[in-house]
Amino acid sequence: MTTGTGTRPAAVMRRLRLPVLAAIAAVAALSATGCSSSSNLTPDRLQASIGSTFANLYVLQQSYMGNPPVRAAALGSRASCQKGGTLDVTQEGSGQWLCEITYLPSGPQYPVIAKYNVDVQTDGCYAADGDGPASVNGSPTVTGPGYRQLNNPLALIDGCFDTT
Amino acid sequence: MTLAAERWPAYVEPGARDSRAVVRPDSIAGALVVWRIELTKLSGMIQIRAMVLLSIIGPFLVLGFLNLQSATPGDTPFGQWVHAIGLAIPMTILGFGAQWILPAITGVVAGDIYSSEDHYGTWKTILTRSRTRGELFAGKFLAAVTWAVGIVLLLTVTDLIAGLVAGREPVVGLGGQLVPAGHATWLVAASYLSQLAPMLGFTALAALLSVATRNSIAGIGGTVVIAVLFQIVTLANMPAWAQQVLLSTPFMAWHGFWGAPPYYGPFLWGLVTCAAWFAVCTLAAWLIFRRRTIGAA
Repeated sequence: MTTGTGTRPAAVMRRLRLPVLAAIAAVAALSATGCSSSSNLTPDRLQASIGSTFANLYVLQQSYMGNPPVRAAALGSRASCQKGGTLDVTQEGSGQWLCEITYLPSGPQYPVIAKYNVDVQTDGCYAADGDGPASVNGSPTVTGPGYRQLNNPLALIDGCFDTT
Repeated sequence: MTLAAERWPAYVEPGARDSRAVVRPDSIAGALVVWRIELTKLSGMIQIRAMVLLSIIGPFLVLGFLNLQSATPGDTPFGQWVHAIGLAIPMTILGFGAQWILPAITGVVAGDIYSSEDHYGTWKTILTRSRTRGELFAGKFLAAVTWAVGIVLLLTVTDLIAGLVAGREPVVGLGGQLVPAGHATWLVAASYLSQLAPMLGFTALAALLSVATRNSIAGIGGTVVIAVLFQIVTLANMPAWAQQVLLSTPFMAWHGFWGAPPYYGPFLWGLVTCAAWFAVCTLAAWLIFRRRTIGAA
């Protein structure tokens, strides 16, 4: 049967060889350029994103806790992020970052610093895990009016920024 | 006598040409006939019916499962909100599954639609019917595209309904902003519909594999393997352009819709990427299919 010859495993493998090799070569080329070229996952973009996202979520947290309303802009939040633990790590790309967010909940004289372990993914999305102070981002829940337990928006921050 | 002698070649020549091949142009009507037959075949397949059924009840199964336990899928955007915000549920499903479930769904049809004829040895039979090769290719391709688009639309509706049933709370966006339920409903729909572009890209890729390998295992399995491979590759640090040319990246472009302010760069790049993959794969599949010798001894 003539059409049957094309479906034998050996024939399939032979036909697949070229596309598979091409795919492997393409992936290898991409990884090679990836090691040398710059990425758009820069500290500037991450800091701008996590700083404003934190401010928005702080407003939400305060409303959950039944505190007087705050404006995100009035917080003056500012993030400073570093990748990895050592100084010689290239300060860009996906991976583990440490961010310190300075904000002013009670006026410019009393800055508060919130720390986050940030897992940045290649598509510009990140998951920031709260690392103190415990009263701000340490607990997964906050207590609302009537002792209601609500999700603490600052415990785990999901955010994304544009990488194009 | 002279009259007959003069007319003789004029009679013979068209007859000789006719005996070699029926030269008939491809027609849209012919392709639509093939399309309709393919859809009828698909609607009778047990795996197609199972996937449609699962698309309808799946989101509600997730809903029921979430109600039974208190853990949250925290490593996906919106995952931490599934118990508090109804519309976070369809977004968690999308973030968790889009990159590999959707290519598999379209691969099952597009990766099989040409090679099944090889498997059953039926190319010779259907090519002797009154449909041309071009009409067969186009009709089958159209059927695969119809399935891909239809299942995305179905999932959009069912997941959205499941989310709205779970609750109409404002949604915490990916910029920390609170999105009112009405606007969030549109964003959920837009996020799901943005899957159409990479879905069509993977449909063309699966069709190419099906035509090129003449083997449904390679057509379906190859599509899934490539989707998973892309997903692994995107975990590596690559320059932005390399990230954008991969066919699986546009599955995640909806993240930008939920930003504060929203951004559409990845989505627009995704449209270009998907159009290029779609065009190249479709063209390659057609060129291979057109030149293939079928039924030679």
